[in-house]
Amino acid sequence: MARIRKVFVESLHLNVRDEELPYEQMLEGAVILDSIAVLEFVTAVEKEFGITMEPKFLEVEFDFLRDLSVLGSYIERRIETHPSAESRGAPE
Amino acid sequence: MSGVPGIPSAAEPLLTVDDLLWFLYLYPLRVLSAIGPRSLLYSIGRLSRFRARKRVDMAVRRMLNAPCAGIPRDQIPQIAGQMLANSAVRMLDDLIISWPSFPRKLHCSEIQGLEHLERGRSAGKGVILLTVHFCATRVAKRHLATIGYPILTVRDQFSRGDWWGQLGRRVLAPRRLNFLRAIIGESVCTRERGCALKILGRLRSGGLVNTHFDGESGTRTTPWPFLGAPRHFSTGIFDLIRLSGCAVVPMLCLGRSSAFRIIFCPVLDIVQAPGRDEFIQANLPAFVETIEQQIVDHPEEWEQWMSI
Repeated sequence: MARIRKVFVESLHLNVRDEELPYEQMLEGAVILDSIAVLEFVTAVEKEFGITMEPKFLEVEFDFLRDLSVLGSYIERRIETHPSAESRGAPE
Repeated sequence: MSGVPGIPSAAEPLLTVDDLLWFLYLYPLRVLSAIGPRSLLYSIGRLSRFRARKRVDMAVRRMLNAPCAGIPRDQIPQIAGQMLANSAVRMLDDLIISWPSFPRKLHCSEIQGLEHLERGRSAGKGVILLTVHFCATRVAKRHLATIGYPILTVRDQFSRGDWWGQLGRRVLAPRRLNFLRAIIGESVCTRERGCALKILGRLRSGGLVNTHFDGESGTRTTPWPFLGAPRHFSTGIFDLIRLSGCAVVPMLCLGRSSAFRIIFCPVLDIVQAPGRDEFIQANLPAFVETIEQQIVDHPEEWEQWMSI
């Protein structure tokens, strides 16, 4: 979880220390600002964990981003599906 | 719009002239578009020129202020008039594509450059179809969807309209919104929080996404000269291209529902750059040049003259 938070703060160039605000609150603020910010975050997560999020998932499921634990579980599942992904450190 | 939505203000009329015109458009004319001949519909559309005088004058002024468009001065009034006529036809074509039976009423006379589109798709990272606000773009996109090329349209938020009287606001405004949703087809609004992700998802599945590059929506924009005047271009498209690696194919749609052409241009060369801002600066000029050329070549098809 800490790793995802770190990616979140870095990818959006936030001016707050990552422990200052809850992730969900920061995400809501970023999304209100513009949806491209979320895109930056998603691609940074993919790069960090060496996964690629499924197209269908991106098209219909925005809510998976809102809950850090849900996002964490999803990333774990993707890594399990492609066990070599994380070690590569780059999207498949 | 005056007052709080849903609560009529004292100054708000029951019905305005524009309300009445919208009523005619959304009800009797729409029914006519389903059961009557297209020629009759277009004949009725010609009546709109009696209310278009001010818009023609405005379009003439804007064309005169855009000398780089290269339109001979003596031809500007004629082109402005033609543009407004095309715009009226586009509104009538919108009525036609609002019915489920629309595919049999669209007559595409030619599709050029399909090989460019296929080349763009061959990398499997999706294609952004770059267009401007030309009158035939919507019917062309609906036609492409029916022949196996579904397109996700990126659109701005629908305006609520500020011409409504009490009746119009209560009855016609919601009806108009439903109508707009129906004619656009599959779309994503730039104001939706999941907009960019939906687009990315579509591109990753190898799909097609369309955006009008001459629009001025978006929270992130950058200025660049356009038809001789400064204009702010949304930079979201460049973020999507940079992060998805998709191809960009300019698309040109000309004509009307009874006979239209679709032209796919060669895939744009995307210049890679190390950072976000560098990427935008490296590619924006070519994008602007591409759409400017489309407008210069077909000024009578561009509906945005009044917005520059």
